[in-house]
Parts: sequence; structure tokens; C-alpha cells
Amino acid sequence: MRKTVFILSFLILAFGCREPYEPEVSQESVSALVVEGYLDTEGLESELLLSRTVSIGAEATFAPEIGAKVTLYGENGRTFSLAEKEPGVYTIAQNMPEDMEYQLEIELRTGELFESETMKPIITPEIIDAGFLQDEEGVEVFVTTQGDENADDFLWTFEETWIYRPRIRVPYIYDPKISNVRDRTQAEKIDLCFKNETNPDILLETSSRFQDQVVFRKTITEIPQGDERIMERYSILISQKAIDSEAVQFWETLKRNTEDIGSIFSPLPSQISGNIKSVGDSGIPVVGQISMGVVKQRRIYINLTDVSPWGYLDPEFNDCAIGLEEVRSQNYKTAFGDGSVLPARGLMEGTTIVAYYPVDRRCADCTLYASRVKPDFWEDD
Amino acid sequence: MIRIFTAGLLVLFCLVSSSLFAQQTADRITGFFPGVAFERFMEKVEEETTYRFYYKEEDIRELTVNIQADSSKLEEVLSQIFLNSDLKFTISQSGEVFISKGQKLTVDFPNTFFNQSGQGGGSGEFSQQDEFVRNRRYTIGVPSGEGRTAKIQGQILSLENGKPIDGAIVYEKLSQTQTITDQEGRYVLTLPKGNQTLLVQNIGGYTEQRLIDLQGDGELNMSIGEGVFSLNEVVVRSGALSNVSRPEMGVQSMTVQQMRKLPAVMGEVDILKGLLTMPGVNTAGEASVGFNVRGGAADQNLILFDQSTLFNPSHLFGFFSAVNSDMVQGVELYKAGIPASLGGRLSSVLQVTPKQGRTDKIGGSGGIGPLTSRLSIDGPIGQKTTFIVGARMTYSDWLLDYLEENADIGASRAFFADFNGTIEHRFDEKNILRFTGYYSEDEFQFDPDTVYSYSNQNFALSWTHYFNYQLEATFSAGQDAYDFQVQGEDNPLNSYQYNFDIRQRFLKAQFRQEKGQRHIFTYGIHSIWYDLNPGEIAPFGAESIVIPDQVASEKALETSLFFGDEFEINDQWTVSGGVRYNLYGYFGPQTLPVYAPGEPFLAENITGEKTYNSGELVQSYHGPEFRISGRYAINNWSSIKAGVNTMRQNIHLMSNSSVITPTDTWKLSDAFIAPQRGIQYALGYFQNLKNNTLEFSAEVYYRTMENLLDYRSGATIVLNDRIEQDVLITQGKAYGLELYLKKSQGKLNGSLAYTYSRSLLQTDPSERKEKINRSEWYPSNFDQPHNANLVLNYELSRRFNTTLAGKYSTGRPVTLPISKFQYAGSERVFFSDRNAMRIPDYFRLDLSINLEGNHKVNKIAHSSWSLGVYNILGRDNPYSIYYVPEGGKLQGYQLAIFAEPIPFITYNFRF
Repeated sequence: MRKTVFILSFLILAFGCREPYEPEVSQESVSALVVEGYLDTEGLESELLLSRTVSIGAEATFAPEIGAKVTLYGENGRTFSLAEKEPGVYTIAQNMPEDMEYQLEIELRTGELFESETMKPIITPEIIDAGFLQDEEGVEVFVTTQGDENADDFLWTFEETWIYRPRIRVPYIYDPKISNVRDRTQAEKIDLCFKNETNPDILLETSSRFQDQVVFRKTITEIPQGDERIMERYSILISQKAIDSEAVQFWETLKRNTEDIGSIFSPLPSQISGNIKSVGDSGIPVVGQISMGVVKQRRIYINLTDVSPWGYLDPEFNDCAIGLEEVRSQNYKTAFGDGSVLPARGLMEGTTIVAYYPVDRRCADCTLYASRVKPDFWEDD
Repeated sequence: MIRIFTAGLLVLFCLVSSSLFAQQTADRITGFFPGVAFERFMEKVEEETTYRFYYKEEDIRELTVNIQADSSKLEEVLSQIFLNSDLKFTISQSGEVFISKGQKLTVDFPNTFFNQSGQGGGSGEFSQQDEFVRNRRYTIGVPSGEGRTAKIQGQILSLENGKPIDGAIVYEKLSQTQTITDQEGRYVLTLPKGNQTLLVQNIGGYTEQRLIDLQGDGELNMSIGEGVFSLNEVVVRSGALSNVSRPEMGVQSMTVQQMRKLPAVMGEVDILKGLLTMPGVNTAGEASVGFNVRGGAADQNLILFDQSTLFNPSHLFGFFSAVNSDMVQGVELYKAGIPASLGGRLSSVLQVTPKQGRTDKIGGSGGIGPLTSRLSIDGPIGQKTTFIVGARMTYSDWLLDYLEENADIGASRAFFADFNGTIEHRFDEKNILRFTGYYSEDEFQFDPDTVYSYSNQNFALSWTHYFNYQLEATFSAGQDAYDFQVQGEDNPLNSYQYNFDIRQRFLKAQFRQEKGQRHIFTYGIHSIWYDLNPGEIAPFGAESIVIPDQVASEKALETSLFFGDEFEINDQWTVSGGVRYNLYGYFGPQTLPVYAPGEPFLAENITGEKTYNSGELVQSYHGPEFRISGRYAINNWSSIKAGVNTMRQNIHLMSNSSVITPTDTWKLSDAFIAPQRGIQYALGYFQNLKNNTLEFSAEVYYRTMENLLDYRSGATIVLNDRIEQDVLITQGKAYGLELYLKKSQGKLNGSLAYTYSRSLLQTDPSERKEKINRSEWYPSNFDQPHNANLVLNYELSRRFNTTLAGKYSTGRPVTLPISKFQYAGSERVFFSDRNAMRIPDYFRLDLSINLEGNHKVNKIAHSSWSLGVYNILGRDNPYSIYYVPEGGKLQGYQLAIFAEPIPFITYNFRF
């Protein structure tokens, strides 16, 4: 709802003002059970997350619900158990028949019992096309697909990964063991990192709105011109899930409660529940919509060369420069010992390096901002 | 409990009244004498004034005084006291008051004694022009003994030049017997013998007064001043006691003059904002013209501009009301006691009375403000026709351009305009034909891609026929239309045009008949044909692949037969009763799903489909509405009223947000959504104090409402062709106490209103789709228990007045986040129960100054300035509270719309 944001900003600019607000919410806030997951029926490892709501002021948002027993019951009597891989994260990787209905049961360690409404797996149609378009504002990643009689509503999620480079590359390292500077080994390289983000956007579309149920070039994300993400090579994994109309309502409510609250024309925030209900009279509210089906995924890459001139420049590092005063070997320990300054370039006298020009670590160490570990899926150009 | 409270109030006010007893200097009488003995009255007068009474004790023993006097002359007061007795009084020049039975005492020589003109025993007066001329009593004629009336004649001359005054009105004060002077300034009047007050009104001049003791036929010549002076704006009141004596209750009226004095946002006089100073009228927020009456939703108000229904009464999302104040005579809001002739909405009727064209010459008025300008012209066309046309337009783009330079608000554009006009033609004394038209347009965009626009279009033709003095009839016909449209051109492939519109055509025949002295009947028939297009989307541009979609259009006919009677049983009791029978039919063509019997309206319960042909009746609803109210007059200054009202509403505004927004759509009652029904009980106490200059009222009410609509979580309203699956049948109740004190005259005048009210909703227990707050009662979006409004107006002079207006109310209910959780990779919010929290209280003070130009007669145009400050304290009253995820944490914000003092200045003129 970009429009409401505009309306809002118009009103604020014209007459209004906004100020931080702390409500007097009583601390007896309800602690609701939160269930999240899309269970793939073709053996792709799927996660089911169990957690509790926490108070608004809390630092951590994820309060895992550990030690629960999560079981999926098939219509034909088959049961599948989900194992707790990490606190609150229960996984399953099973091939399950799609032509029957399932019910999920959650038994908390306190003995409270919850169950889902019956679920019918929906086989998600293939992604017909995924790609990107570039205009003066930047790059727009899109997906095209086609719905069918079983799969009308779609939910897309995406995960972005990109190469992150520091402003200055440093080939040397100060090694306290030898009290000297040496070349970095492959494992010590700090000039190539990978950033990874799961995007919180909720993207929904109903295919029957369009001719022949073709969802044509649905925008997944927009990367503004000069954004960090395409500093070298960028990858996006688009997951497409067909969901039923009840799930659409849940996701729309979630989306609305997150994105649309507070503008002048906002609808009232809605109570959110989903398809999990407490069994018996425990009185514990539950938030969560579990769906089953087949996830269709597509990964695309975008290289800097595909979109240049791109013009990435992070102003935070504009003061980064290699120091002009060389550090002589007797000062290596004092200068480089604590790691906040790194030896960046050598000063050659004859054929040997006699001193190093220093640079701040924050200008050269990508591990401060991202991970050096190359993801398994990553394909180099 | 409420009754005890009201009784307490009565006691309180009795105490207040008696403390107001006579406290006047000079020889004027002021005080409230509720049935005191005449002797006591005389003592008081003697204490306060120099008058001394002389009387026989036996004459006055039985006499009591029941009068309220405010700077009245003793003569007037005594005349009134002795009205139904055979007592006579005479006051000598030295202040002795002689009271006698039957025969009047002569204590002074008649003024004519020294000044006999000899003409029929009359008195020529031309030589006696002094400052006492008004209060001296002239004895006219000689007692003849024959007949009870006598003829008085004379000539009226100008004091300045001695020429006869033609066209002056000569009338007697009490009986209003009147005549007009001829070219020679001559007049003849036949009046009852005895003491009379003769008034002469020369148009544009002073009113002259002569006290006469008419004993027989005689002559009285007068010289009166012709000097033109400026009058206060003349407010014509229909009965000063109206709020005490009228049988209905819960009626608030406001003239446009009163509204002009109120401080306005951006200097724009706003008829709807003025109403918000009244008790029982509330608003969901500053930027919404939609208002709530006695705990009812904004769509439960019928807004009538003359006969036309305005579907959207606001411009620019509610910053301004859609009616140009220059075209308005006044507004009247019926919160209860709605006459049987009006109906169709649950909460209230707002009757906006348009101004009529003047008959003397063509003139006009207008104004220039920072955002808008307006102009209206009115006058006669020939002898029998008058017209008035007006237009108002905004030029707010400069403001947006200015803002754009300073901030990134993109290509914002906003435009609005409205036009209206009335032509009235009098065929003869008995037939009047009137045409009224109204057109408004709004267009705004906040980025280059999306344009919102809407428009009201109304016209009505009415013919009023007077059969005789007892019976009159008005026949009217017209159309009210409203269009809304959004055009999105974000991307050529997805460009769309969305619109909805509603059109209603109506026919109304209304008769008003006076039956004898004590009955006034109102009866008639009112039919409305609705044609509603609830929503339609179409591709826009050649490349667009948006599939056209349309929610099936809806048609319905509503016919109401009504009969009302205002029956004055006696001086104390008046009852007003009415019944309105409402017949509603929802017609095809329509294809509707068939839901399994007894199952909730959900997609999974659809068992089939039924198609109705064009004109085929799909569903009908009918039922009576009762309007009963009664008044018991305790005395001339106070009354008690009670009433019961039932109402029905067949058209619903679908709104999923707390304020009326342009995208809200209308829906007709159909096979699944029944008409809203409501009943209201009200009781009130009304009192006028201080010679009707102070009005006080206290009203309590209780109402229940059925078949209201609330929405399921995540309900979509736009383009939802199965809206019954997303609405929840809801019932409502509301109750409250309204106190109102108004001082209408004096240098310092104004009003104070306080309302305690609640407005609650409950998902109907039979509703199975979803139960909001577990089907418990929850506050509605506009439940603001405490509400106070103050308007203080100080008139320093006729040309300069200043107004201070204040408003306080409890913050409205909101649904706030109470906890948070992680979902789909982001922090999400878990909300409290519906409307379980409140935003902070609201308080605002506004100040305005109105400066009138000078009042020279020969000016081309009269002008006035209105300037002031809105929200003078700069208090940032939260309009809304919301949370945004920010840096991984949820941050709450309160949004205030008018957070700063906003100065304004407007130039108004009329010619």
C-alpha cells in the first residue's frame, strides 16, 4: 500500500506530526502459541516453527517452544513425526501421497494439545519464467506462472544472497605467532563474503484475476539503482507455493497487520488465528497457518556486468583510505597487534617489503558484515 | 439512577433561578417571580426602585404574580399582571403607582390638557419632540362609552425634513394590528380602548414607540427620525421558546451566522464542523467530516441538502465539508424526534436548508481564503422568479507544490470544486416551483500513477401548492448520484480503472394540514429507486491485461407511507406522533448462491445458485417505524419531553476502517443482509432562563440497534461480490446523557455542551463465521464516553467579535499490539481484543476574530475579515496510533494531524 504511505506523508508534512508512543499495555499480555510451516510432500526438507508471542518491549522475538511432540496424521492411518532439529524448529523430509488429507497434532511438553484443521496438499504449478527487468530506477525481479483449477492462489517467498566485498582488499595479515606480517592463506581471506537475507515480504496473487490464470511478471522484489546487493553477483531463490483461500486470508491478515497499520485509511487491525486450534479448553490463543504441498523454486543470478553502470557506493566507507605513513617492522606489534588496523600495502625497498601502509579493519574486513562461507548452492559465473 | 440525576438537576436549577431575583437598578424591573403574592412583588419593587404603591388591600389580596422580567418597564409588567383581572393602574410622574378596581384613576393631567389642538379631541404632537416622548402616555379622544374599540388616525412626518413618510408600518405591540402609511404619511388604525403601545417602524430607521390611553376616536401625529443606522444581523427566530415548547426533542439547529463565528480550519466555514459543538455529536477524527450521532455509525446519518441526499458530505478526505456555506441558510440536526416524513437512516437526519435568492436586487457574496475561494450570486429574474447560484473551488496545488520543494511527496495533486443553485418561481400566491441542483467534484493523486476522484450529483424539482390556509402540499422528484473512481497506471500491463457509483431517484408527496386549532397533520408517500453499481474494475490502456470484473449491480425500491400528527392537547401537553411504514424490495437481475439452510454464509456451504430475471423480486422487507414524542410544559420556561423512535435503514456503507474513506462502498440490503433496525428512548428536561436568553437542556437516551455490520478479520470490501461471507451480523447499544447550556444574547454569548455516552457492539450470538471478542460487548470505533464543547463569543462591537472554541473528548478506542512474534522471517504483531485500548484524550482550543468592514450605506461591497488560529495550544492530539517495524524492533507512533497552531485568514465580501 504505497498510496497510503503517500497519503500519510502528505498529511504529516502538511499539518501533522508523529511522535514515538509507548502504550500502557498491561504486562499480563497473552502468550499465544505460534505455528509456522509449509510442509513439502515431495521430500524437500521442510521446517515447522513453534514459538510463543513475547511482550512488545522484549529484545528477542523468537521464543522457541521446545520439547513438543509434532505428528502428522494421514487419512490412511500413516503417521509422520517431525523431529526437533534446533530449539523450536521441527523438520520433516518425507515423500507423502498428495491425494489424501492430513491433520497435524502438536503436544506441548506441558501436555497441552493442539491440532490443525484437515489439510489437502496442493501441487504448485511450475514457475514458467523468472527474470529481471532494468529501468532507470533499478532492477525488478519478476516471476511468471499459471494457475490451474487446484492452484489459484499463490504465495511467494524469497531468499537473497549476494557477494559482499570490502572497500579495500587486504592480502596481508599480522601473525602474532611470528610477530610479523605475512600473506593471508585462503582460509584467512577477508575480501570475499556472502550476505544472505530471507525477506519478510508477503507476496500474494490470485491467478483467476488474469486471462487464462496467467500471472505475468509478478514483481517479487525491486532493487534500487546502486544498491549494495548487486555490487558483484546477486542471487535470488524464489519459492512459489500454491495455497488455499483460507490460507490467503491468514497471510493477508498477517500482511495487513504488519504493513498497513497506522496510516490514516488503515483498516482495523484484525485478530489473527489460522488453521490450528487448541484441543479442549486450554484457552491458549494460537496463531498459525500450516499448509501442505509442493514448493516450486527457481534461482536466478544477476551480475554487475548485466546491469552496469550500477553505481554502488556506500558512503559509510567514503573515508576509507590506506594510511600514508608506513609502519616499520619494529612497530608491527603496536600497530597491528590488536587487529583494529590491518597491513594493507607493502613498501618495497628493492625486492623486499620493509614496511606496511595501514588501513582500518572496518574498511577491509567483510566478515564484519557478512559471512565468508560460500553457500552450497552458489554457482560462480 | 438517571432519573435521580435529572431530579437533582431540577432542584439545582430552581435554586439558581430564585437567586436571580430582581437585582436591577433604575426604574426597570428584573426578576423571576414564580407565583409570588402581589404584595410581595410590590415590596420587591419598592425595595429596588423609587416607585411607591397605593392600593386597597382587599383589591389585591388574591392576586399572584407569575412573570419573568428583564429590564422591563413597570407599566408593561403591571399590564401583564393585571391582564385577566379588572384592576387598573396609573403611574404618576413622581413614581406613585395607584391601583384601583374597575375605574382608572386620573392622577396627572392628560398631556393634551395644555396642548389642545381641538381636532376631535385628539392631540397634535409635533411640537413635543423630547427625549421622554417614547415613555409618556398620551390620552387619545374622549371617553364615549359606546363600543369597545376606537379609531386612531394621524400623520407620520420626518423629524429631519418634516416631509410625510410613506410606507412606514404603524402597529400595536400586543395585538399586532397594523397598517402602512400612505403617500401623505397618513394612517388609520382601529384598536381596543384602553392602554396601548403604538409602534412605528420606518424601514431602515428607528422603531418609534408611543404609549397611548385610547379613550375614544382621536388623532396622533408623530415625527420620527429617518436616520439610517446599521442593524445587527437580523436573525429570524420562529418562536423564542422553541426549544422549550416544541414537542420533539433531540433537535439541534444552527444558523450559518453562528457557524461563521466559529474558528475554522484553513478559514473555511464548515457546516458540519459547527455541528460538532453540539452535544451528542462526535467525530472519529479530525480529518473526517463523517460524524457520529448518539453512538451511531457515520453512515447512519441522512444528510439532506434541501431534498437531495448527499452520499459523501466531504471534500479532500474530510478536511472540508462539501457544502458551500454561502449557499446555506441553516442546518437542523434531528438526533431523536425525527419527523415521520423523514427516514431511511438509523441515527439522525441532518437537514441543510439552502439559502433562497433575494427578491429586491441582484447581489452576491464570496470569500477568498488560503486554499479556496467562493462566489455566489442571487437575485430576482423578473417579478416572480428568484435564483441563487454559487461555486467554490480550491487552488491547493500551490501548497502541495510548495511542500514538494521541501519534501518528497511526489507529484501530489488535489482539486475540488462544488457548484449549486436554486431557482424558485412563484406562479401565484398558491403555487411555487423550485429547482435545486448540486454538483461536487474531487480529484487527488499522491503519486503520478494513481488518481482518485469522486463526485456528488444531485437535482430536485419541487412544487408547493397551498390549497387553503389549512392545507399545503409539496410534490418533489429528483435524483441523487455519487460516483467514485480510481485510475492506476503504475505499469501499462496492470493499469486499471476501478469505480463504483450509486444513483437513487425519488418521488415524494407530502401534505401538511392544520385541523382545527390543535392538530397539525403531516402525511404522504416517499419512494426511492436505488440503482447501485457496487464495484467494477476494467483494464486501462491498450496493453493492460487486467481482466474486467464487476460486482453485480443492485436494484431496489423503497417506499414509505407516513402519517404524523402534532396534537396540542392543552397548554401543558403536546404530543407528536407518527408512523412510517417502510416497504423494501430487492430486485433482479441477480444471480445469488443458495446456502445450505441453517448454515452460515460461507463459500463451503453453497449448495446451488439461483437466477432472478430483471425486475423479479428477490427479497422484500417491510415494517413500521414509530415516532412518538410528547411535551409537558411545566410553565412558560420549562418543559419535560419524552420520546420513542424506531428507524430502519436499507442501505449500508461498507467500511473496514475507523473513518469514512473514499473507497468505502455502499451496499443494499439483499437476501442475506437485512435492513438495520434501531429503537431509541429519550427523555429530556428543557428550561429557558433570564428572559429566554439562556437555554438549558438535559437529555438522556438509550438505544439498541440490530443487523449492524462488522467485518471478519481480513475481510475485503472492494470488489467483493459475496460480501455476506465477510460481514458479521452485529448488534449495538448506546446510551448517554447530554447537557447543553446556551446563551444566545448579550456581548458575551456562547454555549457549553457536555455529553456522557457509550456506544457498544456485540457480534450476534447466532453468528457462526467469527465472533469478535468472543461475542462479548465491545466499544465501537467511536465510543468516546466524555465529550465537552465550549464556544465563547465576545462581541466587542458590532464590527468586531472574537470567539474561543474548545473541545475535549475521551480518546477513541483502538486495537493495539500487545505482544509480538516471529513469522515468515519478520517480526509480527499480536493485537489486543478489538477496541480494547484507547488513544490519549483529545483537547483543542481555537480562537478566531471576525472583523466587519464599516457599515456605510453607499459602499459597493461589504466586506469582512476572519482570522484566527486553529489549535492555539499546538497540542498534538493523536489521531491514530500505529506500529512500524523499525531496525528490527517494533516502534509505536502516534500521529497527530493538526499538531501545530494553524493560523488562517479569509476575506469575505457581499454586494
